[in-house]
Amino acid sequence: MSSAPRTATERTKLPYCHESFHNLQELRHSASLANKVFIQRDYTDGTVCKFQTKFPSELDSRIERTLFEDTVKMLNNYYAEAEKIGGQSYIEGCLACLTVYLVFLCIETRYDKVLKKISRYIQEQNEKVYAPRGLLITDPIERGMRVIEISVYEDRGSSGSSSGSSTTSSSGR
Amino acid sequence: MRRSSAYIPVSTAAALLVTSSTLFFVFTCPWLVVNVSAVFPSCVGIVFLFVMANFIMATFMDAGVFPRANEDEDKDEDFRAPLYRNVEVRGVQVRMKWCASCHFYRPPRCSHCSVCDHCVEDFDHHCPWVNNCIGRRNYRFFFLFLLSLTLHMGGVFSGGLLYVLDHPENLWELHAAVTLTVMSVSALFFIPVLGLSCFHLVLVARGRTTNEQVTGKFQGGVNPFTRGCRQNVQFVLFSPITPRYTEKLGDRLPLCIQPPFHHPESHKLSPQILPDKSLEEVDAPDSKRLTCPPPLPPKPDPVLLKNHLAALEESLLQSRLALMPSGHNMNPLQTSESPGKALYQVPRDQMGSRISPLVPQEHASEPSLLQPETHANALTLNSRSLSLKHSSRRGSQRAEIPHASQSGPTGSLQSGPTGSLSYDSLLHPAGVQPAFLPMDPGLSRGSVDMQRLPARNCSPVFMHINREPSPVRYDSLPKPLMSSIQERREPDDKDKPVQDGGIYDTPSRHSLPQDFRGLSSSRGPTPPAYGSREFLLSSAAYGYGSRSHLASSSSSSLTRAPRTASSPLHFNRSLSPSIYQSLDRQSQLPPSTLPAPLPTSSYGPQKALAYIRGGEKPEPEL
Repeated sequence: MSSAPRTATERTKLPYCHESFHNLQELRHSASLANKVFIQRDYTDGTVCKFQTKFPSELDSRIERTLFEDTVKMLNNYYAEAEKIGGQSYIEGCLACLTVYLVFLCIETRYDKVLKKISRYIQEQNEKVYAPRGLLITDPIERGMRVIEISVYEDRGSSGSSSGSSTTSSSGR
Repeated sequence: MRRSSAYIPVSTAAALLVTSSTLFFVFTCPWLVVNVSAVFPSCVGIVFLFVMANFIMATFMDAGVFPRANEDEDKDEDFRAPLYRNVEVRGVQVRMKWCASCHFYRPPRCSHCSVCDHCVEDFDHHCPWVNNCIGRRNYRFFFLFLLSLTLHMGGVFSGGLLYVLDHPENLWELHAAVTLTVMSVSALFFIPVLGLSCFHLVLVARGRTTNEQVTGKFQGGVNPFTRGCRQNVQFVLFSPITPRYTEKLGDRLPLCIQPPFHHPESHKLSPQILPDKSLEEVDAPDSKRLTCPPPLPPKPDPVLLKNHLAALEESLLQSRLALMPSGHNMNPLQTSESPGKALYQVPRDQMGSRISPLVPQEHASEPSLLQPETHANALTLNSRSLSLKHSSRRGSQRAEIPHASQSGPTGSLQSGPTGSLSYDSLLHPAGVQPAFLPMDPGLSRGSVDMQRLPARNCSPVFMHINREPSPVRYDSLPKPLMSSIQERREPDDKDKPVQDGGIYDTPSRHSLPQDFRGLSSSRGPTPPAYGSREFLLSSAAYGYGSRSHLASSSSSSLTRAPRTASSPLHFNRSLSPSIYQSLDRQSQLPPSTLPAPLPTSSYGPQKALAYIRGGEKPEPEL
């Protein structure tokens, strides 16, 4: 009985839909993003890089608590591993001094390696867990490692649209 | 951008260092190699290499600069946010201050460098001799530079002394004269550099930064950042170097986000509750919803429209069922709509959500509207798609209730004084198009351009509404609404920035414009204390009266300047950039201004001057 079209295909026949599809860029960035949730740093252990695992209420309806906490805990573990002062960091420090810091031009430090691991992990989490739930995690390095930014996208799924308008979005490297 | 005079100290230091050392190696070392040993000059050479390496690293390495925060990040904290936020670090309460330039709460130990105009992680100080901030990433290079320079100076001086003592009769000879010159230069700078090195040795051992030492942060209390002397030294020298935060990132991998989305299991409970509640409890939530912000329509977005429509038509059908039992034959659709309704009721409190504000709004306004108006008018008032829906069903012209009054009435009916506005527009719908034109082609009325007008008309209505209730309502608007309102106000405000407090000034804040004017004119003798409420509110140019009352759990009731959108913020800065920056920098003066209180009394005047200069550099600009 509804007069308004419900499916995506019907909507494409509407007078204004073609406008929105002309510019996918705009569609991607402005049409779908509903909200951003920021996970702040946890400073209880000092200035080590650690994020709060407290589950934000805005995500309550979007993702299971355990999944979210697992992601944040994993990230915290990665950062702790990167910042660990131990054997490898001693070697790197001494080597740097001996080579008059030229070693930084040649090798990749452990921190850089862990950062790449983190970036891959975030990409994988986005693909497997967060994107299917309409969320997107931004790598904290892009925000100066102060926050984990989770973009929450509009949920049009309940209206029964079949394909809707898909949106592509980019995740951090 | 730094002025060219900022390069004078670093050029002088580099020139002195290189020249003196080169002269030493050319004129003194050959004799030393022959007459003392070959080891001694080679050690001096190695130390010199180390000095140069550390000097270059300290000069050119990013100190740990935080990139400025995006707009989105502080939208949650805009209007009611305090100036300070407390956080507990190892049991000690540490205050994080809001950085007005960088738009985030500064992490512990972070400070904003006024010379470089950015926040630096673990900020130590801004060193003019290397023309760079010393922070987390390059502190060890600076520290090692100091230590190695002390060692180098000692080596050069003692080598020169050996030479001079051996050639007392030929002091006017070239080699001896040069050696004497080098000796005197190194003796001149040795004492200050030694003093600074000892100072930093103490700082490293205690786990403090220069900033913290100079501002006396932990004088009486406990330093939560110290890990013990050995661990502190280990941290400074051997911790991994953190990455640069301001680097351009490489290629981003695209990711497809496509609804429908998964949802957690617990969410399925709500649909069962709603059908029972919708009929009986429509009135109960109204009292809550009366206090909720009447949402302005965002700038019409055709993509959003079709998103809204599907969601709203279900929810509206249900609401109409609840309120108009004698109305249409909608019962069969009720159960199918409740899941949709539930879904959109849940994220209702999310600021950014565009769909949900409309849903409670219907409930809020429908009961109050029912009495004076017909069903058709009442319902079409409430939301765009209500009108769409209604018109689609009845095909009546009355369905074309002005969108302009859509959110106006909902708020104004509650707040009273501006109710007439909405009623007028209600009674005279002709000529005003709904902002969100119906998706159904058969019902399209007017052009796309027209739909923007009601949105504009709507905002003044809303603005008037906002005067009486607390500005808290306005706070929860989605950002695009706020920015659209701000952008509209901006051209007016640019002309009379101070007088036009607009709707956001409460009567008690009328004094603020004068403060602000006073600031811009005098700017000198008694500027308001940075961080004081008056300063912050005046610098905002939109005085939100509620901010002072709504300070959250921070120990301080100070609030920070609101940031509604980038345009007003830039507008604020452009309005009185000198004021903003001068007051901003004044706050930065303490960390970088004071000469480090060195343990040795013979702290050279030039170091003190250097610190002061580094801190006060911005002053002549004003």
